[in-house]
Amino acid sequence: MNHFKKLALGVAAIGLVTAPAIAGYKLMPAGVPVAVAKSGLTITPSIDWNRLGSRPGRNAESWTLDGLTLNDVTFYGGIPNNTTLFKDAKKKTEPLPRFSSTMLIPDIAQLFESSYRVSVGTSLMSIDAVKPATFAGSPGFHFSYSFVVQGEEVRRKGEATGAVIGGNLYMITYEAPVIHYYDASIELFHKLAETAVIRPVKK
Amino acid sequence: MIARRAVTLAVMATTLCAATVPPQAAASTPQVAASTPQVAAPTPQTSATQPDIIVSVEPQPVPAVYVPQDKDERGLWMQMEEEERKLKTSNFVMREAQLNDYVHRVFCKTVGPECASIRIYLMRTAYFNANMAPNGAMQIWSGLFLRTRDEAQLAAVLAHEFAHYKERHSLMLFRQAKAKAASATFLAMFGLVGALFALGEISALFRFSREMEARADALSVEMIAKAGYDPMAASRIWEQIGAEADATAAARNTKSRKDKNGGMFASHPPTTERLATLKALAASIKPMGTPRLNRDEYRAALAPMWASLIDDQVKLNDFGATEYLIGFLAVDGWTPSLNYARGELYRARGRPEDLTAAAGFYRQATQGADAPVEAWRGLGLSLLRTGAQAEGQAALKDYLSRRPDASDKTMIAMLAGV
Repeated sequence: MNHFKKLALGVAAIGLVTAPAIAGYKLMPAGVPVAVAKSGLTITPSIDWNRLGSRPGRNAESWTLDGLTLNDVTFYGGIPNNTTLFKDAKKKTEPLPRFSSTMLIPDIAQLFESSYRVSVGTSLMSIDAVKPATFAGSPGFHFSYSFVVQGEEVRRKGEATGAVIGGNLYMITYEAPVIHYYDASIELFHKLAETAVIRPVKK
Repeated sequence: MIARRAVTLAVMATTLCAATVPPQAAASTPQVAASTPQVAAPTPQTSATQPDIIVSVEPQPVPAVYVPQDKDERGLWMQMEEEERKLKTSNFVMREAQLNDYVHRVFCKTVGPECASIRIYLMRTAYFNANMAPNGAMQIWSGLFLRTRDEAQLAAVLAHEFAHYKERHSLMLFRQAKAKAASATFLAMFGLVGALFALGEISALFRFSREMEARADALSVEMIAKAGYDPMAASRIWEQIGAEADATAAARNTKSRKDKNGGMFASHPPTTERLATLKALAASIKPMGTPRLNRDEYRAALAPMWASLIDDQVKLNDFGATEYLIGFLAVDGWTPSLNYARGELYRARGRPEDLTAAAGFYRQATQGADAPVEAWRGLGLSLLRTGAQAEGQAALKDYLSRRPDASDKTMIAMLAGV
């Protein structure tokens, strides 16, 4: 059962008894700037999005429109040097590769690919194109990718855009099944990513 | 990002194996076996490179060499046939005709005419594993091809899986589970088999007994010796797997898991013990004629796939094992491809000393007529990260002139200062 279903069922079950503050989805209303991934990366959605309560990593957060398996936007908010992109759940047996501040853009694309391959256990993952791009006003990168998760067989495509700012990696990814969903929401993702700005974090 | 949920799902999948085909049943319909050998392989394509992920194939009829005998077995077969139907269209099936034909030829050479009823699926999964469903569908994971270094070793693995099948080991397990009123759980496990998988722990869910593994080992050594292969080949695989586990542990500064009763080989006897038994078995068998390894044939069959196999391995972020495998493949000499792979490995780990070493490996890879073009890219990127700006940019320019249609052309051009 996927993460989304688990959470949805959990919400339904607990909701019957009481209404505590629990991990679930939170509405990210259109037009309201919001800091994401516990960082200064700030986004202003053009339509309502849903934020997943549980984070993929300490410096990451995911949003969706129809459910994570159908469209998934993940923010990586300033991944520091020598840190994994997301939670290193099997650290001992299948450790994830770590970001280094000295990485060049092609290295970051490769880090992303390797992280996915190890994390979801697939050899069917490829970075399809890498090019320079501007991200949150800084010189950065854009790459596209495609993958299939083993045991699931759904073909997915994705896009990533980001930059290394002050030695930390800021990145936003969008991914969805090739059939229908990718094309259906890609423009909404572009609109979302275009609003990215990095603001100073209040201590 | 896509969550780890898929692994959890998948982890429940694999480690099937076993059962069926008593010799008399196979013998009762020899004409089927003899007349339809081509049906056995999963519809290969003619393309020499990895296909662009999805390819659908028409399900092929399974020749009725053996028919399940009773209620239990029929139930198992029904489950497995449904899973096999899904497996046939999996994105992960490697459909390269040349490699599929080769593996099937080796299999037939090893197990004889009964091979015709077995369907072998080569799966693109960068781990060492092979398994067989009770209805005669075998999966070989691509990571295995980096670890078996000759035809004799490949034959040993194929024979081991076939032995489980012939001895009907999974049917025995099924009956044991049924006796414990746990058949529903057992079948639920099988229900995911088509999804391939198993990053290790799965074998803990469904394990053959040590006796079954020992029996399959014994039969496989007999089979490969009879086919004219070196019977020591099987023990050598485990020698290598043990050394690889040690290498992983050394690089991660942890304790080697090779003799742990856990992980990928939980169902198998500890490597050291198994190695000794296999060696003793091989020593007791007299091979037919001069024992063969057929290393050249094996390398030739794998050559078109080799770059993608090593690339899949490098991206597993297992420095120790990959370094060991590359070194082990280079035992007869360093080729440009091996040097390139080593450069990729060191550059991926990316410590300052790794980047200097990587530049050295890439430099060696650029020597010679069959140098991989990507070696110039790797060289340039490593040099840039070590601060050798001008030299790095020159290497990247060299790369672009050799690969003008590179998918990361604009990015590399920017780094090259073009």
